[in-house]
Amino acid sequence: MNRHKFRTILYCCLLLIVFTVPARSGAVEVEFDRSTDSLKRGAVTFQNLCKLCHDMKYLRYQNLLEIGFSQQQVDKFRKDREMQESLKSSTTPEAAKLLFGIQPPDLSLMAKARKNGPSYIYNLLTGYHETAGGVIRNQILPDTSMPDVLAYSIETDVQAREQLEKTAREVAMFMEWVADPKADQRRRMGYWVIAYLVFLTFLLYLIKRRVWRRLR
Amino acid sequence: MGQLIKWIDARFPFSKFIKDELTDYPTPRNLSYWWNFGFLAGFVLMLQIISGIFLAMHYKADVALAFDSIEHIMREVNYGWLIRYLHSTGASAFFAVIYIHMARTLYYGSYRAPRELMWWTGQGLLLLLMATAFMGYLLPWGQMSYWGAQVITSLFGATPFIGEQVVIWLRGDFTVGDATLTRFFVLHYLFPFLIVGAVIIHLVALHFVKSSNPSGINLADKDNIPFHPYFTIKDLYGLGIFLIIFCYFVFFQPETFIEAANNIPANPMQTPEHIVPEWYFLPFYAILRSIPDLLGGVVGMLLSVLIFAVMPYLDRSGIPGGARNRPWYRIMFYVFIVDVLVLGYVGAQASSDLMLIIGRVATLIYFLAFCLLPFISRKEEQWLRKRGLPVEIEELLRYESQQQEKKDDV
Repeated sequence: MNRHKFRTILYCCLLLIVFTVPARSGAVEVEFDRSTDSLKRGAVTFQNLCKLCHDMKYLRYQNLLEIGFSQQQVDKFRKDREMQESLKSSTTPEAAKLLFGIQPPDLSLMAKARKNGPSYIYNLLTGYHETAGGVIRNQILPDTSMPDVLAYSIETDVQAREQLEKTAREVAMFMEWVADPKADQRRRMGYWVIAYLVFLTFLLYLIKRRVWRRLR
Repeated sequence: MGQLIKWIDARFPFSKFIKDELTDYPTPRNLSYWWNFGFLAGFVLMLQIISGIFLAMHYKADVALAFDSIEHIMREVNYGWLIRYLHSTGASAFFAVIYIHMARTLYYGSYRAPRELMWWTGQGLLLLLMATAFMGYLLPWGQMSYWGAQVITSLFGATPFIGEQVVIWLRGDFTVGDATLTRFFVLHYLFPFLIVGAVIIHLVALHFVKSSNPSGINLADKDNIPFHPYFTIKDLYGLGIFLIIFCYFVFFQPETFIEAANNIPANPMQTPEHIVPEWYFLPFYAILRSIPDLLGGVVGMLLSVLIFAVMPYLDRSGIPGGARNRPWYRIMFYVFIVDVLVLGYVGAQASSDLMLIIGRVATLIYFLAFCLLPFISRKEEQWLRKRGLPVEIEELLRYESQQQEKKDDV
């Protein structure tokens, strides 16, 4: 019996390891503010800055209503575009190619397409610095042709820098939502599903014990 | 109702089937929870088929549309995200359950006579499962899908003399392209039904030879209990535990088993930094990379999967109960499991000198375990018998030979 208990504990420990490994690898190094307000500010920044060059082909204007924008605000974003149209950059692909040498990537899935996506985006946006030679470079992607859109590298005021970092985090949060818009719904449902399964499994355990007791 | 069943029974052995295979089907009472995994594999197979059929209703097998259709499923199809995450997590769950099922068979020596055919149909099932999973991984048409398929299909180029033609024949084109995607989709839809067929054969064989059990010998009738209700409820309870773990991943960590790079559409012009197969192929992939010659590597990889089939002949010990009663075999079993885990780790790493050495040593240990088994198992039996077997094993063996005599008399 003792050996049995020891084994059970051993298996539980193994399970725990299995559970914590993915949880740890998915951990973000940057602290994010996941409120809707921060998400909405990120969306506005995206609209004003990132969308100048980048598409978000899997996000439609009507989806913006889901994070709490009013119809009027969305109308302001989309101008003469339809509600069900997706977000297209203001630069044509030809012009972008002329400017940067490549077509800027679509950003709808960027937060999932890199390991620790939101942290990566934040680190990229705030990764610009001036080298000794006076050239502005990015320490995450040294060869990137993306300019320092937040003008982070030339900002010297501490408070203004903090504000820019906050903006970068908000953009990362917005992109995380765009990459996985059903995450909230999924987690909310998940709690109920797991609770239901735990209850059901407990009942099955009781029945199992009762049925097997007949054998003694 | 009773009359309806009577009517059916006169034309189809319905009640007899339920009686023989369920309510009266004799099952050893000493089966541990390790015997739950066959049922779980059957459950996951059904889950994959059902979720897969619903995915196929919205998926487009066309290089221009495939990636978008997955995002369409994730965003616009009602609960499409749930169906897809059930399916993608289900693939990993399938391998996890099957590997545990195999490890149990190896530990308890359940592959030995008279269950060789069960072991071999199981081996066939594993191969079908691997092929199905590999082809399914191409369908999202992401970077890892594309390059994984490109690398694995190119391995067939190692076929002597006709390598190049074989690769083109498999892909339907000179590189992985639209023809490849369409055929992989068709076969990915077909293979699960072949798996169902093979599972039925596996189950018919099981119900003929009956379950093995931890003691390793056939039990007396008094130690067998009917499958229903004892094992139906035990399997359902195990299913509950499984579903809790499974749903944790589906709802809270669904991207664990999807490479980040697969969220980038396939781009034949840009190779990802580091191509890794899915976790369930990693040990075999590590063996492939450990052998310097391409043909040798492919043969080594195939052999590493197929070598399990000869286990009934490699294991020459007559001691029942598998690793439970065999201390040397038990050590070998655990060394092998650790070795597979090491190979899996090496398979996931970018190649470096250190990883190459570890991978080669682990590959050597992998095959040595099989090669040494005939000698070790025989020596072990001699040693165990000389030392005197524990009383209960002696009793089991005596009982077994009596049973055999009785059968021979009949």
